[in-house]
This record gives sequence, structure tokens and C-alpha cells, in this order.
Amino acid sequence: MKRRTHVALLATLMSATAWGQEVSLYGTTMAQMWKSETPGFDKATFTPATQYLGIDATKLGTDRLSLHLFGWGRTDLGDASNFDGSKDGSKNGGYLNYGYLRYRFDRANAEIKAGRFTVQQSTGFEQVDGVAARTDLRGGFTVSAFVGKPVLYKTVDPRDQHDYEFQRDVIFGTRLGWRLPQVGEFGLSYLQDGTKAAKDLTIPSPVDYTRKQLGADLLVAPTATFGLRGRTVFDIASHEAQAPGAPDRSRVAEHDYTATVKIGSQVTVSGNFAERNFFAYFAGTNLPSLFRQDDRDMFKGWGGSVTWNTPWSIQVVADYRHMHRELYGDVNRMGGELRWANAEKTIQAGAAGHYVNAAKTLLVDSATPYRSLKHAEARLWGMVTKGKFSASLDGILQRYSEANPHLNGLTNVYEMVGSLGYQATSSLRVSGDLSYGSTPVAKSETRGLLKAEYRFGFGKKGGQ
Amino acid sequence: MARKTVLQVLGIALGLGFLMACSLVSPETSFAATHPQELGAGRPMCSECHSTDLAKGALKPYASFDHTADFVKNHKYQANQDANSCASCHAQSFCTDCHGGKVPMKPAVRFGDRPDRDMPHRGDYMTLHRMEGKMDPSSCYTCHGRANNDKCRACHR
Repeated sequence: MKRRTHVALLATLMSATAWGQEVSLYGTTMAQMWKSETPGFDKATFTPATQYLGIDATKLGTDRLSLHLFGWGRTDLGDASNFDGSKDGSKNGGYLNYGYLRYRFDRANAEIKAGRFTVQQSTGFEQVDGVAARTDLRGGFTVSAFVGKPVLYKTVDPRDQHDYEFQRDVIFGTRLGWRLPQVGEFGLSYLQDGTKAAKDLTIPSPVDYTRKQLGADLLVAPTATFGLRGRTVFDIASHEAQAPGAPDRSRVAEHDYTATVKIGSQVTVSGNFAERNFFAYFAGTNLPSLFRQDDRDMFKGWGGSVTWNTPWSIQVVADYRHMHRELYGDVNRMGGELRWANAEKTIQAGAAGHYVNAAKTLLVDSATPYRSLKHAEARLWGMVTKGKFSASLDGILQRYSEANPHLNGLTNVYEMVGSLGYQATSSLRVSGDLSYGSTPVAKSETRGLLKAEYRFGFGKKGGQ
Repeated sequence: MARKTVLQVLGIALGLGFLMACSLVSPETSFAATHPQELGAGRPMCSECHSTDLAKGALKPYASFDHTADFVKNHKYQANQDANSCASCHAQSFCTDCHGGKVPMKPAVRFGDRPDRDMPHRGDYMTLHRMEGKMDPSSCYTCHGRANNDKCRACHR
């Protein structure tokens, strides 16, 4: 969509808020500052100012119609920090995350949305400029569908930009679900992103940005103590034939399933299994150089966690995950976390530690021994709220192998963030963050951030 | 091809319109747009109040929506099947804090004063991403595969 169209659409939506009987406006104004002294680069001082703004206007003429807007804008007061990826060194940027009208029916949890919105169904998480609708049906069935123009992020190689826009001309999808009380829910979904596959173009494009996916999702929760959730996604697009003798590509983009069991009122045990085949799973990426659709490469992971909510307001979590990648071998991640909060939740604290063992990893690259993946991480944090004042401290330490050749001889990388806040009025809160850390690029780094958060109007849940 | 697409889209729209208009639509009243009581700070456990009830509309035990540590990490399942239930407490801007499509800073910086929230990429993630990206690039893909990857391109050309 062109910038002019964006502005016109935004102006129309903004003016619609005037009809709202209940308008809620919320935003955050942020000013940051940090200096960069990276060896080999010029010194630079960055002072970006960022504004987030959201509006929820309900009862637009009728109780059922509402408007929702959220976006951000940024400008650099010093050197260009290029947060939004502008290729021309621009100091300004902005983005409309969503902006849509929503009509909610009295019956069947039915609703219609029009504008820019996000869709999450078993085949993915999409941003769409278009229309979406859903409703419950008799017999526990539900149906939803959306259609529109996919939001384009314009991060592809400029030489392929034309193809990117051309191929992704339309996006649509639908999901049919079936809910059974005391059993769970089963869903079937379809997604098509673009209609002009690279192989079908007159001059075939080197990269295919289109997708056709079929998804199945389920929840089995016969009681409050057991739940099995998950989804499987298939790539059903037609692709160019493989070279003779090449192993067959898997059509399964993803399996991802998690089972949870509650033991008594204090203990929860969960287990997860996931498998993703990269050729099918990375279909449609706009960064093919990074998310390569390798025919053979795949990820398989399994693990679990045990959570104990003790009677002393302490939550204890122990977790383990085994990860296997076809090209690089196996790693194991294990660790735990403690959380404590007083009854009023005015004092909270936490500690966590994790270790990654990469002893069974294959050679990652010719210059890097297997130890390059081995690392450990520890974190300690605390938060206090007293009256109108609040304070927090967060420290994180990452320890890497001495044999890692990418860290300029550094083995300990850390960052500490301290914050002080003041609730000036019920609608306004101001705070300041100061962070200090050490990284392999910047031997020491200090960053400052000032923030003002405000909320006006009737809405209760914005940002919650 | 374009005509075929238009017909497909028209078919979906007509099909949905038909369903809305006919008696297949559930006669049940919609559940509350907002939770009737304001919730306190911290992660809510729905089943503490709604012990053995089934959530209206979702037809699942309220315990399925308990905000346990596991729920916070794997909430994609609930968001997929029960976005309406999420919306009774959360505005969409809450989702946008992380799933924004395009954001000007990483969420851990924006919410540096909220260490209690599970924000991705705390600390020096620039260093750590070399390892996590090799261990499981599919976990990066969820957020950066088709969006939020302006900075990735600086090196991954």
C-alpha cells in the first residue's frame, strides 16, 4: 500500500474516533541515548526519540462497533540509528501496527474486522490489510476466514523487490474448528499467501515468496488436570522437481505438541515435542539468505518442565530440552528458575540459570570448534513498588567457552539494567532506565532511557 | 490465475455470508467483551475462581487458560484457538508489544523496567544469537522469518 493511501486511511480511521462514546488513548514517549565506539567504525552518538500511540474507541454509533489503532513513530536527534531498516540513512521512521474497525455481534461470538489487523491460526501469524470474520456454529463448530493484501516488509533484496510485491498479491485463509465439551477442540485450516509462484512466472524468479499451507490443530482437555495441545502444518504448494536421485523433501512443515499434567494444586509437569523441516517450514520467507530452504536440514526437539508453586509464594521451575539439527548435531539445554512475590505483589524477585551442553555437536564451521555453541546464562532480578514509586534491578550474565573465536577473547558478557519510576497521576507514569554492560563488540556500553507512559479515557484493558 | 483467485475469494466470502445468514449459526449469546472484574497484578490463574467450570464460548476448562510459566512460553496454541477469550482481558496492543510486525526496539529494552515479564532477547543477544540461531533457526523464524528482520539483513545478505 502506498504511503499516501496509508495517510488517507489513517486520517479516516482517526476521525471515526470522534463518534466513539468511550475513547481510550494510551501511549509511551521514550528518549534514549548511547554512544558507540566500535573498533574500525566512527564514533557515534545515538539519541532516538520514539512515540508509541494507541486508541481504542468503542460504541461508535452502536454498542457493537469499535475502532482500534496502534502504531509508532521515531526520529533521531543525533546520528541515524536506522532502527527501521531504512536504506537511505533516514533519521525518521514509523509504522502502523494495526488499525481496524470491529463489529461484534450479540450472538455466536461473531465478529467482522476491516482494516489492518493480525491473524493467528494454525498455519501462521499474519498481518493483513483486508477483512476478517468469524462465528460459532451449532454443534460446537466454529468458522473463520480472512482475505486481503499481505503487509509487505520490504526487507528483501531491492533487485527482487518487484518480484516480492508481484508474487504476494493477495493473502487469504480459513479455519474450521469443532469444540466438544469435556473433550477439547479440533481444527483444520488453510492459508494461501500470493498467487504468482516463482516457477510460474514468465521469467522464473530466483526466490519464491508464496505459500500454500494446510494446518491441523488440536486440544484434548477432558479434565482440568490434563491437556494436550499441538498442531501440524503441511506445505501443499507445488515446487520445481528435484534433481534425480535427491532424497524426497518432507511435506510436513511442522509438528509441535505439548502435554500438561497438573498433580495436585501445586505441581505442573509438561512435555513438548517439535519437528520442523526447513524446506517446507521456511517457505515464503523474505530473507532467504538466512532462512535457507535446505532440502535435508531439519530441527527436532523434545523436553519438558516441572513447575512447583510452593505454599511460600515461591515458584520453582526446572526445565530440560534436547535439540537436534540435521546439519549440526545435538545440544542439551537445562536449567531452572525461581520466582517470589509477596501477597500484594509489591515486591517480586527472581533468579534463573541455564546451561547449554554442546558436546555432541558436529563441526559448526571450519573455523569454529564444537565449543562455539557451549554456554551458560544466569539472571537475577528484583522489583519493588512503594506508594507512587517503583524500582527494579535486572542483571544477566552469559559465560562462553574460551575456545570461541568470535568473542575477541571475552568469556563473560553481562548487562545490568536499573530503573526508577514515579506514578505522577493515575494516568501518567514517568521512569528512567540506566543500563551498563560488556559485549565482545563494545568493551563497555552505557545506555540511558527516559520514558513517559500515559493513559486517558474509559478503556480498562489496553496494554494489559 | 487472477480470475481463479478472485473466484476462490468470492467463494469464501459467499460461503461465509451464507453461514452467517442461515440457521447454522449458534444461537448462544456472545460472551462478555471484557472480564467483569479487574484483575490484580501478576499472572492470573483462572481456575482459582472458575474451579471446574467450562469457559463459555471456548467450551474448555478454565484451567486451560491458567497463566502458568508453561502457558506464557507456549501461548500460541491458545491464541490460535481462543483469541476471543484472550481479548476479554488483553487489548491487541499487548500482543503487539512483541508481535508487532515491525518494532523500533527489542521488547526487552522497551520494558527494561519490567524484569518480571518474559521478554525475548534480554542482555547481549547479539552475541547469543550466533549460537541459538545454529541450534534452532526455526525458533527465530516465528518472528523474523517474514517480518522484523531489518537488522538481520545488515549481516545476512
